[in-house]
Amino acid sequence: MSAAGMGERMPQDPNVDLRVQLGRLHLPNPVMVGSGTFGYAREMAGLVDLSRLGAILPKTVTSQPRAGNAPWRTVETTGGMLNSIGLDNDGLEVFCEKHLPYLRGLKAPVVVSIAGRDYDDFVGMAARLSREEGIAAIELNISCPNVSHGVDFGTDAAMCERVVRGCREACGFPIIAKLTPNVTNIVEIAEAAAQGGADAVSAINTCLGMAVDWRRARPLLGNVMGGLSGPAIKPIALSAVYRIAKAGVKIPIIGIGGIATIDDVMEFIVAGATAVQIGTANFYDPTVTMRILDQLPAALEELKVRSVSEAVGLLLRRQKLAH
Amino acid sequence: MDAPSYAFADRAWHGPVRVAEHVRLARDTYRLRVECPVVAQRIVPGQFVMVRLAGCNDPLLGRPLALYETYDGGDARPAGIDIVYVAMGKFTRRVVVAARLGDALELWGPLGNGFAPRTAKHLVMVAGGIGQTPFLALAREALGQRRYGDPPRSAPRAQRVTLCYGTRTSDLLAGVDDFRRLGVEVQLSTDDGSAGHHGLVVDLLRQILTGDRDGLRVVCCGPEKMMAATAKMCRESGVRCDVSLESPMACGVGICFSCVTKVRDGGGWDYRRTCVEGPVFDAEQVMFD
Repeated sequence: MSAAGMGERMPQDPNVDLRVQLGRLHLPNPVMVGSGTFGYAREMAGLVDLSRLGAILPKTVTSQPRAGNAPWRTVETTGGMLNSIGLDNDGLEVFCEKHLPYLRGLKAPVVVSIAGRDYDDFVGMAARLSREEGIAAIELNISCPNVSHGVDFGTDAAMCERVVRGCREACGFPIIAKLTPNVTNIVEIAEAAAQGGADAVSAINTCLGMAVDWRRARPLLGNVMGGLSGPAIKPIALSAVYRIAKAGVKIPIIGIGGIATIDDVMEFIVAGATAVQIGTANFYDPTVTMRILDQLPAALEELKVRSVSEAVGLLLRRQKLAH
Repeated sequence: MDAPSYAFADRAWHGPVRVAEHVRLARDTYRLRVECPVVAQRIVPGQFVMVRLAGCNDPLLGRPLALYETYDGGDARPAGIDIVYVAMGKFTRRVVVAARLGDALELWGPLGNGFAPRTAKHLVMVAGGIGQTPFLALAREALGQRRYGDPPRSAPRAQRVTLCYGTRTSDLLAGVDDFRRLGVEVQLSTDDGSAGHHGLVVDLLRQILTGDRDGLRVVCCGPEKMMAATAKMCRESGVRCDVSLESPMACGVGICFSCVTKVRDGGGWDYRRTCVEGPVFDAEQVMFD
């Protein structure tokens, strides 16, 4: 091993550049883990080499503690699962005291996911986090289906733009807006996030869904409805990424939704995603991220590209050539 | 606020496992023996593993299954674990087929806190339904017949170990002989009177609690109502009781926050993850609805 390679646990393929750039956010590779699917990372330290991840997103934090929703909180469905966790967390101050010191000690970039009740709450949290060190970016969870009160920053373009702008002005970290698929036109919301100054959008959060026990004539989830995730939603997520990319929205896209294999990752990248987040697959295949990272260089070489960025949106460029 | 202690998956192994044996124990109950030496060497009674049908999208998620027993390989070191399950749902019915056909299973563990070794003259294990499964290894350890963990942990020896085990009907009683062989005193109950006491398993516990309570320790696993009744009875008798909870889980390692249970916290309560703060809880801490 060369001196320059000392300390690198991962055998890097010198022929392939895995680094990606999402606005002001630079990541060592495109394989991130989705918020709410990786705890506070400490839980996974025994199973995964956390230092290899492109970025870690701890569970969404709110300004005040939230107990979360009543059980059952998850229900398995065909090829996926519904959840109505309800942003169970100890609040921003406990997060900064208890979880952030561990997270900032990790080699992987940390993207803090926040959810506010209203504009002031979002901006206040962004301002509070701006005083902390060791944060690579902030992801605005404007799309959780389990805490919505009818008005959503994820479904109204003007509200989305305003909250992104407010957070961007309140803190110096790169801002990512996480979008919901539960809208008529996701492109419009992505445009609004870009207008507001977001460095990237992540698409998609879970799809609103429901499971029913007909014999007892009752819903299976404690909170009646929840968010569908897992392989079942991958085609929906792919189309969302593709539409945003095709519309020419000027900021990079982080693809999320049912990603469980290297093939899934590559599909999202060629459809227009610059990076991806692995979510539900962490639950049922806890070392999935390591396997994907092992397989990524070879998959890129198969496409005959030297970097991730060359592969981003390849499908769209091929389409243009064909016309 | 009580400072929670977490049993993270720091010593967990994840990978494909080979089915070494699959034996029917009762009408719908099977014992599955899987090769996983690393897990078997590290696991302690009361811990669990997550089992999944490899590469399967439906059912997608793994399921938490308690350690029943470890078994030794040729070198007298643990080579794998036994798991006992009831084939009653989408997942477990598929496991029966997978085990017969030799289809791959994936497993990760050991997970959860397990039973802390505690001094007891008389260990009473109260089980309902499929709740007997975490107790075989516990009994074996308490009777000084096996040590678990890496390095092997020492546990105080009990003079007596009793299993109070209730099911709806006698067809569902599974593994009773496994307990008897160790020297466990087994008392049975069935709802329909087809075996043992005609009535509830907590009736058996009540009898024990009216006797000599010196050095008595109770552990309990089963349906929530039965655990709640056991916890109440033990509280009233001043006997320590630990419950092993069976919450539906998606990940088993603390990242999904699905398997929460209401645990007393200061004057109020908080949802705690059964997988990393349990599955074994002091019964006094658990708020049964």
